[in-house]
Amino acid sequence: MAACAIDPSELNAEPMSNHALEQVVSATGQASTGTEPTTAVRLETVTHEYGSSGGHTGGDRVVTALQNVSMAVQLGEIVGLAGPSGSGKSTILHTVSGLLVPTDGSVELLGTDLTTLSDRRRTRLRRQHIGIVFQRFHLLPSLSARANVALPLVQAGVPTATRRERAETLLERVGLADRTGHLPGELSGGERQRVAIARALVTDPDVIVADEPTGELDTATGADVLDLLTDIGRNRAVLVASHDDATLSVADRVVELRDGQVSTDGR
Amino acid sequence: MADDDRFDLESAGTRRARWRGLIGIAAIRLWKRTIQTRSGRLVATIAAVALTIALLVIVTGVALGLADGGALADDDADVRITPEAGATLSAVDGVEGARLGATNERAATIRAEDGIEHASPVLVEPVQLESPNGDPQTVLLVGVVPDDEPRRIGGLSTATLEAGDSHYANGSYDGPRTGELVLSAAAADRLEADTDENLTVTGPHRSNETPAPSFTATAVETGSDDDLETPIALVHLSDLQTIAGADSGHLADTVLVWGEVDAATAAATETYPDAAVQSAESTDPAALFGDGLAFATSLLALVVGVVICASFVATTTGMAVNEDRRTLAVLESVGYPTHSRLTIIAVSTLLTTLGGALLGVVLGIGGIHALNTIASATVAPGAVAQAHPVFVPYAIVVALLSGLVAIPYPLVVAARTSVLTEVGR
Repeated sequence: MAACAIDPSELNAEPMSNHALEQVVSATGQASTGTEPTTAVRLETVTHEYGSSGGHTGGDRVVTALQNVSMAVQLGEIVGLAGPSGSGKSTILHTVSGLLVPTDGSVELLGTDLTTLSDRRRTRLRRQHIGIVFQRFHLLPSLSARANVALPLVQAGVPTATRRERAETLLERVGLADRTGHLPGELSGGERQRVAIARALVTDPDVIVADEPTGELDTATGADVLDLLTDIGRNRAVLVASHDDATLSVADRVVELRDGQVSTDGR
Repeated sequence: MADDDRFDLESAGTRRARWRGLIGIAAIRLWKRTIQTRSGRLVATIAAVALTIALLVIVTGVALGLADGGALADDDADVRITPEAGATLSAVDGVEGARLGATNERAATIRAEDGIEHASPVLVEPVQLESPNGDPQTVLLVGVVPDDEPRRIGGLSTATLEAGDSHYANGSYDGPRTGELVLSAAAADRLEADTDENLTVTGPHRSNETPAPSFTATAVETGSDDDLETPIALVHLSDLQTIAGADSGHLADTVLVWGEVDAATAAATETYPDAAVQSAESTDPAALFGDGLAFATSLLALVVGVVICASFVATTTGMAVNEDRRTLAVLESVGYPTHSRLTIIAVSTLLTTLGGALLGVVLGIGGIHALNTIASATVAPGAVAQAHPVFVPYAIVVALLSGLVAIPYPLVVAARTSVLTEVGR
């Protein structure tokens, strides 16, 4: 994993470097138990309300997306998030990836509480430690597969030659060595999701979040993508949200959500 | 995944590589959208900027044409000396400006310098002439001192005029008059005169006490295409100075110098330290500042150009960014902070504007040539607009300025993008 550490002086916290994380992961890829550093993600009594004041009716409309959700994901663990639409699966993924700050509670990533950070610092942390795989791939249509994969490295200031080499290596790993120069529009759905997975991996993140990663794929292609996800999940914490039982079956543990609350943790 | 996928993100990065990468993303996206996906919005933006800039270049070219003095400025001299405070002499209305003094002697001084081929004062005066077969007509007489080499002054050749200026006679103006005159085609038409025709000065310049001076046409010159319709005639300087009453001060409007530009410029500056010395290589956009109408026209074109260009760019790029919110959301989700996303938008906007500006310069200069062709074939006596190399950087700077004025709007649209709304779709 990456040797990048969260800069303590910048974050005003005592984060753990990825090297430190590696030290507590066993040679088999399983995280050691009972030690604080093995926890990649921890949500403590997280509540989030989407709402607006005023509006046409003049009253307040508040929707509670998450209510007192607490859970943890260890390194080397694949955790499935299950539940009907609106149960809060995507909201959990968004809070873990720092795209959303919950109304209440804390979200720790590698020991750092994301809710206390500025937008800029959360974005930096996301770039360094989190890879996101979307249901609809969300590749940039005007960039080649290689450029899409290398996208996070640009912001990190990685030189062109290194970006190119790194992106080609990852595309090769996901079986797309012969598609590096293709635009997303020239790729099949499965190939696009593989490109998206390569992009999520390019910064060597500690945590992968995947929101319905097989939702747009047929069964066979979805199975291939899941194999890839479980393969890359070794030594990382993976959070997969899905309605699909086949997708959730690859998880070490499934957390069931209902009406924004954890109904079963699957431990 | 194998352990050799390890990647040290932070130690691999540099600030310079990040900036190059961000600019590269903006440029590649624009290029691919233009070439491969043929984005209509992008093409519309570039076309709008190009048309606005083309219009600016054409109008500025017309203004420069207005300021340049028309056919009278058509000469092959290397250096031109004009009075510093003098307004440009109009070929149309003959408005007089300041004149240079003691031009005959000083031109002789300049001629004596090393590296100088020739120097001639040029006096321009509207004079009424009459041919035996026609009515009195006003033409612009241009008084010059020819030498053995044919020179072009006022669009006409001095080849058929006798070298020197015999009537000047070292300032006594009592030498023999040659009475030679070279007619432009328009002047010949107007006077219904031809070669060897005798033309007599009439009107206010004619003295009742002395016999009316007369000229003999030694040639009818067609001149350049631009000057076909301008009624001009070349005569010897002292002949015209006598007629115009400019003999007492040895006056002239300009002094033209032929020779090495550096030597000619040095000699001209030394001889006329307070006059404007201008080399032919730098045909003067600065003339715009000396002509009120031309300056106002070009200034108006500049203001209108910036306003229209900025409006087009702001509107179209704002709409393009609005359609491109998902891309911005994706960038945010993979770790691009706000300032990096806005940098991409700003660079995209400026590159689009730059592309439009370059296309606009080409269209504008082509438009100037087209305008001159049409004007010459229809209503105007010749070229009505002039192109100049300085138009290229001028147009680009104006377009980039417009882009800078326009940038805040697409940036505001971009900054308001909600990543959750976009990636959740």
